[in-house]
Amino acid sequence: MKVTVKHWHAVAQWRWDTGASESEGNDENEDVCGICRVPYEGCCPSCKMPGDDCPLIWGECTHVFHMHCLLKWIGTPASKQQCPMDRRTWVTAERKVGNS
Amino acid sequence: MATAALRSQVAAKWHEGFNRLNRSEPGISGLLSFSQAWNIATDYLHPRDISDPTSVKQHDLASVKAAFDLINRSRRLPVMLETFLDDICNQYHLIVRDIEQYLAEYEQSLDTSVMLRLIFRLVEWYRAWAPIEELGPTIRAAYTLTFQTQLFSTVPPGFVRGFKALCASTLVPVAQHTPQMWEAFEVLGLTDRYEGIIASVGYERIEDHVRETCTGKLCHGCSPMYAKGAANTEEARGLLQNVGSRFDFHMNKTLCDLRTSEIFDIIIDFPDSNGALQDLKECLQRVDQRASLVQALRKAYVFLVLPFLNFPPRDYRISNRKRLLHPGADTKLILSQYVATIKCLRIVDPPGVLLFKVADPIRRYLRERPDTIRSIVANLVGDDDSGDSLVDENEPIQPLQQLETEDYNDPHWDPEPIDAGPDFRTNKPSDVISTLVSIYDSKDLFVKELQVLLAQRLLAITDDNFEKVEKERRNIEILKIRFGEAALQVCEVMLKDMTDSKRIDGHVQSQKASIVHPTIISRHFWPSLESSDIVMPGQFQALQTEYAKEFSTFKPDKKLRWLPHLGTVHLELQLEDRTIETDVPPLEAAFIELFSEKSESTLVPHIWTMDELIEGVGAVDRIAALKALITWIDLGVLKEDEENTFRLLEVKEEAAPPSRIAPAAIDAPTVTAAQQQQADQMRLYWKFIEGMLTNLGSLPLDRIQTMLRFAPGYDQTVEQLAGFMEAARREGLVVGRDGMWKLNR
Repeated sequence: MKVTVKHWHAVAQWRWDTGASESEGNDENEDVCGICRVPYEGCCPSCKMPGDDCPLIWGECTHVFHMHCLLKWIGTPASKQQCPMDRRTWVTAERKVGNS
Repeated sequence: MATAALRSQVAAKWHEGFNRLNRSEPGISGLLSFSQAWNIATDYLHPRDISDPTSVKQHDLASVKAAFDLINRSRRLPVMLETFLDDICNQYHLIVRDIEQYLAEYEQSLDTSVMLRLIFRLVEWYRAWAPIEELGPTIRAAYTLTFQTQLFSTVPPGFVRGFKALCASTLVPVAQHTPQMWEAFEVLGLTDRYEGIIASVGYERIEDHVRETCTGKLCHGCSPMYAKGAANTEEARGLLQNVGSRFDFHMNKTLCDLRTSEIFDIIIDFPDSNGALQDLKECLQRVDQRASLVQALRKAYVFLVLPFLNFPPRDYRISNRKRLLHPGADTKLILSQYVATIKCLRIVDPPGVLLFKVADPIRRYLRERPDTIRSIVANLVGDDDSGDSLVDENEPIQPLQQLETEDYNDPHWDPEPIDAGPDFRTNKPSDVISTLVSIYDSKDLFVKELQVLLAQRLLAITDDNFEKVEKERRNIEILKIRFGEAALQVCEVMLKDMTDSKRIDGHVQSQKASIVHPTIISRHFWPSLESSDIVMPGQFQALQTEYAKEFSTFKPDKKLRWLPHLGTVHLELQLEDRTIETDVPPLEAAFIELFSEKSESTLVPHIWTMDELIEGVGAVDRIAALKALITWIDLGVLKEDEENTFRLLEVKEEAAPPSRIAPAAIDAPTVTAAQQQQADQMRLYWKFIEGMLTNLGSLPLDRIQTMLRFAPGYDQTVEQLAGFMEAARREGLVVGRDGMWKLNR
């Protein structure tokens, strides 16, 4: 017998490629933005559409936030341009494209 | 002992009397002429038996008149009258004899003409005994009164029946003598005496007529007939004064009763029954029957609402029994009935008091049914097999209305109707959806259910059918007006995912054509989809990986995570003797893929056991697996040789036995229902509650609620929490005593 797939209407979820290993991405303890406590795949409080409209930002310190959240934080004087997690000066990391 | 004074007084009286009778005639000639006149007069007046011809004497009217004149001059007329009336009483047995004779005849034949003859006979008696006109109206009136009193006191009960039948017979147009008959009634004073009976004949006639002409004719009202009736009563009013208005009232009442008894049908037939509703409205304005209408409606709903109570059906109207809703009436049915009721009663009673009274039990009942929300929402999004939308398309779409407190500054403010109950709330003429949504305290439940439903529908759409997405979008736009923009934000994201998926797929296909066309969804914005651990085998795995790689090239910072249990696969199976093309869910596809792998690797029969198959796709529960396999058995591709062992039929086997198990497992919903989600959510909070109770011993419910509010995302009401705690108690996790909860250990 030969099975030929003619058409497959599949369903998938998208995830941010945060570099965390796939096995960790269980529904239970998923990663949340350290500022707004909303999952990465959600959107920051000021956005309505997740995904490309509310992207993430990676720091050199390996911390990841919603871009809008972090920029808002950096914009406040109290931030002293530091990463809110480790108080190191925030440096946005260059994303390696197509690393998989 | 007679004194001299007394004697002289008697003498004076005697003289006076003598003089009066003697009229100053010489000697006693006056006295003689008086006694002669008296004799003539009494003889003339003496009530005779008219059926005995010998008793009839011819009188010389002139002498009779002269005699009366004489008596009158002597002022003996009152005495004369008394004697006359006594005579009537004494002679009345003659009439009674006649009456009894006629009635006996009537009772045998039941012919109303006998009654008519009786009446005329009575008139004859009356006329025969009547004193002459010249005696003046006083005497005549006294005579009439005595005659009638005697008549009424002697008529047997049977007379009334006959009389009624006689009256009724006159309503048939062919009846003759009618004017004479009524005249006779008048003469005998029957009209006054039996007014009630005559009226009741009229009432019955009206009732019959109304029933005859109006029963079952719900679509066109009876008001035209009414108008006619009103015209008649106008005329009648002139003659009969208020009898007309009483008939009018009765007509209203009858029609009202009739419509009330038909209310169930009226509601079912709405809007075709508009005429009947107008009738009801008109009548209710004149007749106080609102309470009985409410009763009837509530009774009607007993069938819908309490299907398991075993009422003897004969207690209810036949019309209800006709539609008797079998036990377990469909929620959808109840809803549509409810909506129809709303619409009907809005016509009948715009302020909404009736509706409030009727609707309350229905609403309470609907609240208890688990699928009410689902039904309402399904209807909202037009996901209705019957196509019979609850919502009137002509109705303007408007935001949900909250119950408002009364605005006393409103110049159009009206006080509450008089029969409004204490908890009646003025319902502004709100739309049907608002009314339905207001069954529940919050609209959140609806929004949640709406998401679930939308998810199901969106995922069912295959990408070559994009108009459907547009249709959903329109739907959501409309619903946004009702529920508010913010509440449906999530739905917005879901729709965007659909468009994005198409765009992304378009791009990926242009890079590298693939037969996979995924819908890529944003998690957190879709209702929780049951997770699955299926691993698609063979070529499917390859297809997935390939597509995911292409996707990551297009969107470098994203990756795909497949939800392998969702979607559909269009397959073509090439078997030795036939080709089968079919659409199947992924699990089915996975299984058949396993079979095809085995057929490649080994030459011996392609046989898999259930356990092997399940292992082959990772983990899947047996019921789902069995269902998938049965699909193939039904298609004649697989065969179950012995239990849990399946063989591929490369060559078609004739007379394939029907699948051994009727599909026991019904389609498990791929998307978790809102209720399920809520339970899951509560499970999360159980951790909090457990910790709380461990640290603090026992706590009252509202304390737990207060503390849980600190937990992120906690949005349950106290009632929901109470329900959850109750469930936990049943599972033996906690014990509740005197409103205090503590851990069970």
